[in-house]
Amino acid sequence: MPVRVTESSTPSQVSGTNSGDTSPPACTLLSVGQTFSGTQNVSSLQKEEAWRVNVRIQGCDLEHGYLCGTMEALNVPMADTPVVTFWEGEIVDTKNYTFYTGKWEASPEDDKRHWTKFPSFSPLLSQVEVDGGKSLDLSNYPYIFMRWKEQYFVNVGTDCGLTIAGFYYVCFSCSDGSISGFYYDPNSSPFQKLELKSTNEGRSGYSFSSYELQ
Amino acid sequence: MPSATVNKPRPSELLSRLTSAEPEVKVRALREVKNQIIGNRTKKLSFLKLGAVPAVAGILADSIDDVTENNNCNNTNNFLVQSAAALGSFACGFDAGVQAVLDAGAFPNLLRLLANPNEKVVDAVARALRMIYQSKLAPKYDFLQQKNMEFLISLLNSEKETVSGLGASIITRSCETNLEQKALFDAGILRKLNSLLEGGSLSQRDASLESLATVFRNNPEVISKFAGPEIGRPLSSIIDLAKDRYPRTRLLACMCLIVIRNASPHFLQDIGIKTKLIHILLELLDDPGQVGDEAPFAFSSLIAQKEDLQKLALEANAIDKFHHHIKKGSLHPRRYEGILLALADMCSKLESCRSKFLSLQVLNLVADALTDYNAGVRAAACICLKSVTRSIKNLSAGYFMNETIVIPLVQLFLDPSTSVQVAALGATSNIVVDFTTRKSIFVQCGGMKQLVQLAKSMESSVRSNALWALKNFVFQADNRLKEGVFSELTASLLSSLIRDPEPSVQEQALALVRNLVDGCINLIEFVFAEDGLILGAIGRQLQCASKAEIGIQGMYALCNVASGNEFHRESVMQLLFTQMGDKNQSFVVKFLQSNDSQLRTATVWTIVNLTCPSSPGAPCRLEKLRNAGIVSQIKNMVNDPCVDVKLRVRTVLGQSMAFGDN
Repeated sequence: MPVRVTESSTPSQVSGTNSGDTSPPACTLLSVGQTFSGTQNVSSLQKEEAWRVNVRIQGCDLEHGYLCGTMEALNVPMADTPVVTFWEGEIVDTKNYTFYTGKWEASPEDDKRHWTKFPSFSPLLSQVEVDGGKSLDLSNYPYIFMRWKEQYFVNVGTDCGLTIAGFYYVCFSCSDGSISGFYYDPNSSPFQKLELKSTNEGRSGYSFSSYELQ
Repeated sequence: MPSATVNKPRPSELLSRLTSAEPEVKVRALREVKNQIIGNRTKKLSFLKLGAVPAVAGILADSIDDVTENNNCNNTNNFLVQSAAALGSFACGFDAGVQAVLDAGAFPNLLRLLANPNEKVVDAVARALRMIYQSKLAPKYDFLQQKNMEFLISLLNSEKETVSGLGASIITRSCETNLEQKALFDAGILRKLNSLLEGGSLSQRDASLESLATVFRNNPEVISKFAGPEIGRPLSSIIDLAKDRYPRTRLLACMCLIVIRNASPHFLQDIGIKTKLIHILLELLDDPGQVGDEAPFAFSSLIAQKEDLQKLALEANAIDKFHHHIKKGSLHPRRYEGILLALADMCSKLESCRSKFLSLQVLNLVADALTDYNAGVRAAACICLKSVTRSIKNLSAGYFMNETIVIPLVQLFLDPSTSVQVAALGATSNIVVDFTTRKSIFVQCGGMKQLVQLAKSMESSVRSNALWALKNFVFQADNRLKEGVFSELTASLLSSLIRDPEPSVQEQALALVRNLVDGCINLIEFVFAEDGLILGAIGRQLQCASKAEIGIQGMYALCNVASGNEFHRESVMQLLFTQMGDKNQSFVVKFLQSNDSQLRTATVWTIVNLTCPSSPGAPCRLEKLRNAGIVSQIKNMVNDPCVDVKLRVRTVLGQSMAFGDN
């Protein structure tokens, strides 16, 4: 059952004339090394099914609106081991990327149908319809919208019977680090929902490691 | 076919002839010395060792006295011409020769002789001085003195090519400060240089381009005056010269335009000029001589830090072209180094460039360059590797963690040149981020142990870079690797590095601890080893942190410790309150009031962990934090300008309300 993301913060005011940085805020819960776990609902008309999913953030380059990491699906029926994929993300920052995908067989209509599934998107809809959200100021908005596209299988061959042809529309909550997503692939079941929560790997608090490239 | 050998007099024999009483013998000896040393470093050195330079400088000095007494006799002028020419040859492209000429006291005499009435003398003297002014050892010319500026103007106004060229060389070598650049502009020098650009000979144009670049370097004010209407269309003259038929002129014009663009980005915005510069510099790579050697350096200064230019260069097939040159092999070390550095700049920011680099398999050639005999080439290969390994996508695939690269890189950790060591550590720092299970390859190659050894280096840059690499190595590493690093490092070494005199070392050591104690909860025990040496060092360092970055890493280390069990949290609490500074205030309040949002974030996260509602000691800790004024400080931050801080503050306040605070 879809979980509604509840947030007390009101969306920041949108402005078409802001000359400062309008990119979403940096968030420690979405930094390298952070992990998330949850499920992806892959139910079809024939049967109810959900896979357990773990995600780890491996790279983050806010200047280029780039994020990447791995996704591990745990109880995939046709696989003997957990299936790990590497994905790359586009952060909707109005500078490098807008809400309109413009590729991966996603039309602006497909984009809107998916983004509007996130309650936190509704205050942004009217502006997105005008210009894809280019003039939105997301710098104080406590949600980060992204697209995650799986690039390759890490531990299984391409003949594993699984596909990574589609991509995820993703909404991240800066408040609690929860992630909601919808998988989009014209050839797969529509609106497969991904729900993840920030994890702390057996600790009773938050831990943050980091690397720096030279 | 065998040829007859010509018996050249030996250096010692020539040297004795320089003291001959016979003027003709002496002049012939001077000419012979000059001829023997032209373009021959070995010969220059052997004459230098015999003391030839003081002897020649002595003849020059004696002849000057003769000029004063005798006025313009032919022999005297011959001595002057030949001795000046010989001194010029000693100085040409040979710093030891320049030093010997200066030590022999010839420099002021040469300057005086520029006023000699004989044209041949002036010409020879001006040439000799130009040779001296091509070296970094040349005496600095003080433009700020009025009489010197007047003399310089007189040189530039000279009809003689060698003399005006000397004026330009003096500027190129001596103009260093913005004040000097402005003084030259105010004295009308740029107008003169511009006229040499437009109407001068080849050598005058080249000398003028070099001088102009020197006067423009990092000085937008002078550039905007020069490019303004006052002087005419000077930029278009330089742009025209970038298309000149002579390669050296093209290179110098490009370098001048690059200096202008780097200092004043609003000039030369036209995409056509940018593309043209890229193409010209890539074509100049085909020049077999010095121009081709210098072209990649000019290319680097054009594209460094500029994504738009890197994109244009990629479209102009720059990477293919550099690849082609390296593949040909047997490059001059200067050119080899330049090409590797140009590739480094190409791959510094854009993933598309790195993909091209990897698809052409340039990586294997760069790996070969790691073992080159020339230190500059080895360092450049490391810098190139450092740029390419910024590709997170390829790091994630474990693409770089292989023995072809890691083994030669680890060998460079012990390179005699510190700059090679630091560059090798820089590349290693990226490669060891590796997200696959291949990190053990680095251990097997002896890399980890070497890094620990380098963390004890006398050079602070080596210590800090070794720690940087270790920090990245233990990021998300498994317990076994982390335990290996810790037992090799030891608690006492790590705590002394946290307290290192150098702030960059302190920062990296704290960041290493932060990563070591992340992951499995048992790893937190590292900071309690040897009676809590590390934890104590962190506390002391945070109390006197000299920059925000040290506070950030230290606070995240404490935050990670506080994410463990009750004992861990209590230990952090104890540390926060035993390390009271001035006014009996914990550093926590100071950090919460910092202008650095990352430091505020790290500090609030630590408080989040300490007041986690599920832990039994939280109410007591909250009480202590409240009494120390930390909670009220946090309450003041509910509208912090940084969203991340604001949200964590709300978490703390939410947790404190759970314990009845309001």
